[in-house]
Amino acid sequence: MNKMLVIDYHKCVGCKTCEMICSLVHEGVCAPNLSRIRIAKDERAGWNVPISCAMCEKPMCVTVCPVGAMFRNRETGLVTVDEKRCIGCRQCVQACPFGHANFNPLKGLAFKCDQCDGDPQCAKFCWTGAISFEAIELSLNQRRLETAEKITRGQTPSY
Amino acid sequence: MSKSRGYAGQILEVNLSNRDSKRNELATKFCREYLGGIGFNAKLISDEVPAGIDALSPENILVFGVGTMVGSIFPTASRTEVSAKSPLTGLFGTSNSGMFFGTQLKNAGFDALVIKGRAEKPVYLFIEDGELSVQDASRLWGKDSWETLDILRKQYPAAEVALIGPAGENLVRFACIENGYYDAWARTGLGAVMGSKNLKAIVVRGTQGITPHSVEGLLKVTGKARQLIESSPFFKPFKSYGSMNAAMPYGSFKALNANNFSQGCLPDWKEDFARPKVEELTHGHIACQSCIIACAHWVEIKAGKYQGLRMKDMEVTPTVSFGSGCGMSLEATVKAAEMGQRYGMDMASVAGVMAMAIELFNRGIISQEDVGYDLSFGDDDAILRLMDDIARRQGLGAVLAEGTMRAAQQFAGGEASAMHVKGLEIPMIDPRGRWSTWSLGILTNIRGGDHLRCRNPIENLRFNENKHDFQKERFGYDRKMYESLDMPDELKAQAIDLENDTVDIAIMSRWAEDLINLFNSVGVCIRPPVEHRIGPTILAEAYTAFTGIKISPIELMQSAERAWNLIKLFNLREGELPEDSKFPRRFYEEAVGGKNLDEAKVQEVLQQYYQVRGWDMLTGQPGEEKLRELGLSNLS
Repeated sequence: MNKMLVIDYHKCVGCKTCEMICSLVHEGVCAPNLSRIRIAKDERAGWNVPISCAMCEKPMCVTVCPVGAMFRNRETGLVTVDEKRCIGCRQCVQACPFGHANFNPLKGLAFKCDQCDGDPQCAKFCWTGAISFEAIELSLNQRRLETAEKITRGQTPSY
Repeated sequence: MSKSRGYAGQILEVNLSNRDSKRNELATKFCREYLGGIGFNAKLISDEVPAGIDALSPENILVFGVGTMVGSIFPTASRTEVSAKSPLTGLFGTSNSGMFFGTQLKNAGFDALVIKGRAEKPVYLFIEDGELSVQDASRLWGKDSWETLDILRKQYPAAEVALIGPAGENLVRFACIENGYYDAWARTGLGAVMGSKNLKAIVVRGTQGITPHSVEGLLKVTGKARQLIESSPFFKPFKSYGSMNAAMPYGSFKALNANNFSQGCLPDWKEDFARPKVEELTHGHIACQSCIIACAHWVEIKAGKYQGLRMKDMEVTPTVSFGSGCGMSLEATVKAAEMGQRYGMDMASVAGVMAMAIELFNRGIISQEDVGYDLSFGDDDAILRLMDDIARRQGLGAVLAEGTMRAAQQFAGGEASAMHVKGLEIPMIDPRGRWSTWSLGILTNIRGGDHLRCRNPIENLRFNENKHDFQKERFGYDRKMYESLDMPDELKAQAIDLENDTVDIAIMSRWAEDLINLFNSVGVCIRPPVEHRIGPTILAEAYTAFTGIKISPIELMQSAERAWNLIKLFNLREGELPEDSKFPRRFYEEAVGGKNLDEAKVQEVLQQYYQVRGWDMLTGQPGEEKLRELGLSNLS
């Protein structure tokens, strides 16, 4: 089963440790701005939501890239940037509907999540369980169980 | 990207009188000696604030010092210290807050922000990636802090904002500086200093990033620190209940402020109001930058008069100050917290001055005519109305807005009801109910009467007896805990007597104060799971990995001690007298739970503490030898 970054935003407390570790491992800098995962927050409403790459099946960022720098690896399913080809036109940044694909002004290159080549550090450092790296089927199974538990709460078992 | 490591590398200074600004490069020597946060503030304010000025005059200087480790992944590194001469105490005013302001300021290129002068008209500052602009704030003046934030956040998305509400504009002497919607640099009236400068807000946005000296080293020490914090016995309770945890044991020891310190604990507080209320009213947790505890709660009032109120709240100090100190219902304390945030007032101080007013009302010293309505402990509506009057300086509110110390002088016999030390209202801990390092700290705190700058890192909340008078508190842990405590062996042996199972309060106080001052310098949180496990050894490793500046644990502690001494010298220069280090008479004369403080014995411990600090035993003046040791001898 293919693993993906699964976000359970109910668990996120907004500590932004994920932003720190991501920019550290990718750029050697503590720079939330260069993180491949970002926390969207609204203090008035009281939510924090980690936003990362969905690794779309039909990625808009790949579609608009004029030089083929953004590509989807068919074997791994990962959408990544080939920095040698990237011309820094930011078309992918504008095309991504989630505000995920981003631009590094110091390097003049696009950047996005690469799932740390199979060992995403954001999931490893997230202590809340809001970000995990797992097979979607297992994660959904868990959610179905939680839903079922809510539905049946207070009912006598029928068996 | 900044050239220096760990630090952003510059201090931004702005003079609002003439709109001049300059950028001062950080020198390595200055970094080693003062570290960051409160250390920077202590040095800059001691050097530049002229002696004897009015705290609300343009001569006062407001400094935002970001902790060194802030902007890194080191657990809980989020804290920024704000300091100025306090309009409430007349001494060094200082307060610490977390969330994300410090991270943004460093990402914008600055380790500290120094604000001088006074703008002619209301202004706000916008700081972005090394650039500063002074903007007109006429349209924001008069708006409460949440309305102001709604406007500024829309205009400057992704920015962090420090701001004042109407209380700061009205120069309420305990006005605070709000740190976003729900946090604040609350104590000692720094919001009034900002208001006196006609400065409504500071909007900060930065994208520059901070380069660590060693990524590998930083990650290694971060991993170690996480493990240490997670292994503290305080870790799980704090994750679940946050700071409200302390209300349980302190309630059962009759050591919670109740109805202006007239009782040891309200009857319903011990059982009903600590953990059960947290469970009933809160859901979800909120963290500051890089925190692994997330002690803050998201509160929602689902029924009753305050239905629909949703905010981050139920932090122990304001909750106890309003709920127990003024006898309010828990639901009403949330409303009071909302008003405190919107108006921008220190909740501990406003609750303190209101509790005094209620007591004076009960004593017949102030009347219904003075207030316009009746006051009594537990009357939520009247208390909220009084809070409104204070923020707006209406009627009796104008007197109370001057703070407990000054307001008490307006009433014959008022002093007997004024619960403050050095002009700062005492918030939640009643030292009569439980005498410990923590409660001595209320007396020795360089900012006045609160408990937040001195807490024995291995305080044992299970015990409440003084085995040996006022000099010792119970240790009560096993040898393993003794050994894992990060403290030099010799000092540890002096501070903790394993055979008699005691901790020496004077020796531990000095250590605890310096340790907390170190935390407030490097920007790490003082919550018990952290203070319990994180000591100078691991902080030295973290500091060096992040900044590249080699420093030993002893040097770190010495830098923290240097700032503490510098602040003490500042206070003495500004007129602090030895007799100011006294509790309100009530603590000596009236008992709660069968206990009162023995004045002679408290003085004795205080003198021991002065001796341990290398200060004059009677006057508390830092001694020649100590100042020489700290490289401060030219200042005595």
